[in-house]
Amino acid sequence: MCEANIYIDRGSGEELLMEMVDRVIPGEENNIFMESIFGERRVVKARIREMELVHHRIILEEIKEAAEVQTMEIWLEPDTDHGHFHEGEEVSLKLLKGYNMKAEPAAGFKNTKAFVTNGGEKTELHFHEHDGDKNLIMGQETEGLIQVYAVDEERLYAKLIVEIGHHHHHGLQPLGLPLEIVPSSYSHARMGDNYEIQVLKEGKPMAGVEVRATYAGTHNRDYPHHLTTDSEGKARLYLTARGNYLFTVSDEGIISTFTLMKSF
Amino acid sequence: MCKNMPPLELAIQFHGHVCPGLLIGVRAAELAQKHLDITQDYDEELIAIVETDSCGVDAIQAILGCTFGKGNLIFNDYGKNVYTIASREKGRAVRIAQRFGATAFRESERFRQLNRKDSLSEEEAAEKENLIGVLFEKIMTMPPDELFAWEDVEFKVPDKAQIHATLQCADCGEGVMETRSHNTEAGILCTPCCQKRGGEAGV
Ligand SMILES: [Zn+2]
Ligand SMILES: [Zn+2]
Repeated sequence: MCEANIYIDRGSGEELLMEMVDRVIPGEENNIFMESIFGERRVVKARIREMELVHHRIILEEIKEAAEVQTMEIWLEPDTDHGHFHEGEEVSLKLLKGYNMKAEPAAGFKNTKAFVTNGGEKTELHFHEHDGDKNLIMGQETEGLIQVYAVDEERLYAKLIVEIGHHHHHGLQPLGLPLEIVPSSYSHARMGDNYEIQVLKEGKPMAGVEVRATYAGTHNRDYPHHLTTDSEGKARLYLTARGNYLFTVSDEGIISTFTLMKSF
Repeated sequence: MCKNMPPLELAIQFHGHVCPGLLIGVRAAELAQKHLDITQDYDEELIAIVETDSCGVDAIQAILGCTFGKGNLIFNDYGKNVYTIASREKGRAVRIAQRFGATAFRESERFRQLNRKDSLSEEEAAEKENLIGVLFEKIMTMPPDELFAWEDVEFKVPDKAQIHATLQCADCGEGVMETRSHNTEAGILCTPCCQKRGGEAGV
């Protein structure tokens, strides 16, 4: 038996990548090509850390490309599997830290604050800490269109808009964050909608900046969508996934997210 | 449940996943609604004749309310993406046929390849998810006349589903609808029992 099992370390220990491999060819740009006796072929960006030939083990260490270096961001999620809140229902949100809507519990929060604005008035909210979760509970009296935002490490921002009850047509004001994503018109977003957002830096439209977008439960390790704002700081995304979307923009160390709640 | 679920969401919820076939069915159902100026079925007002039994039919059932159980969904096993939708009230019917090759996108072939696999790696799952995203936008935003050819057709609206008497099978003792029973020398039999006795299976 000369085949080996290949393991890869992606930063959190070794995991089996491919069994019964009989060809391993290091290629250009850190690519390693491998083929198993079953004909399965794969290419990964990695370096060979160790070859334990007696044990038929080859251990690779993943090389993260510059673009793939994952910086932590924070975002808000509704704490309901229903996707939206009804009048009289307790509005409860969660603040998460991680990347691409995948929470990284080890990331840790620092100097975290949260605020709610409902028609111009801004109130600080207090977190309910539970098993390391950071929850915001706003009670049942809330109604209309409310905006919640959180700030962490004084440079990470998260924003979410909650619409309670249906058909509220209040104008939506930007919160005045240093970097902020504002939906162009706040209506109930649906799959199949071409959803438009605008990026504001210090309140002014920011043109030509990259906005990343993702959605709950994606299998993609990095953001599946990369948009660029036009001259008015606007970008559009055609919504094709179920569940909530997250839009993210970063500039000069500030990372600002906007969670788009979808009922379905 | 929240009321006023849009057609697309109704179809996805009913079918359980998003796939190109379902989306084509959504487009067909929406086209029928617009063309015939109808909404959803009530009391067998609408009748659908489908020539396929694949994913798209679930969109017809969920959006138009033509269902197998109500008897206003008729299946002709022709293996064609053709849907004929009739309205008793309007006295009209439209036959909607998917154009040959209309959805033969580069992404479709790879999607089918991944769909055939029993299990997917994390990378393949992501790839499949991204492909369905691309196909979703293409199918849902395509001009209707690139996707379908449709025409008004003559259609003799069948009588509403009848409720027939139930007879008891002499062999298994189970109930069988009168029009599906077999009157044999051994007594009234259901089709499976009739077949077991080597009788003709005529249904
Ligand atoms: Zn399907
Ligand atoms: Zn029987």
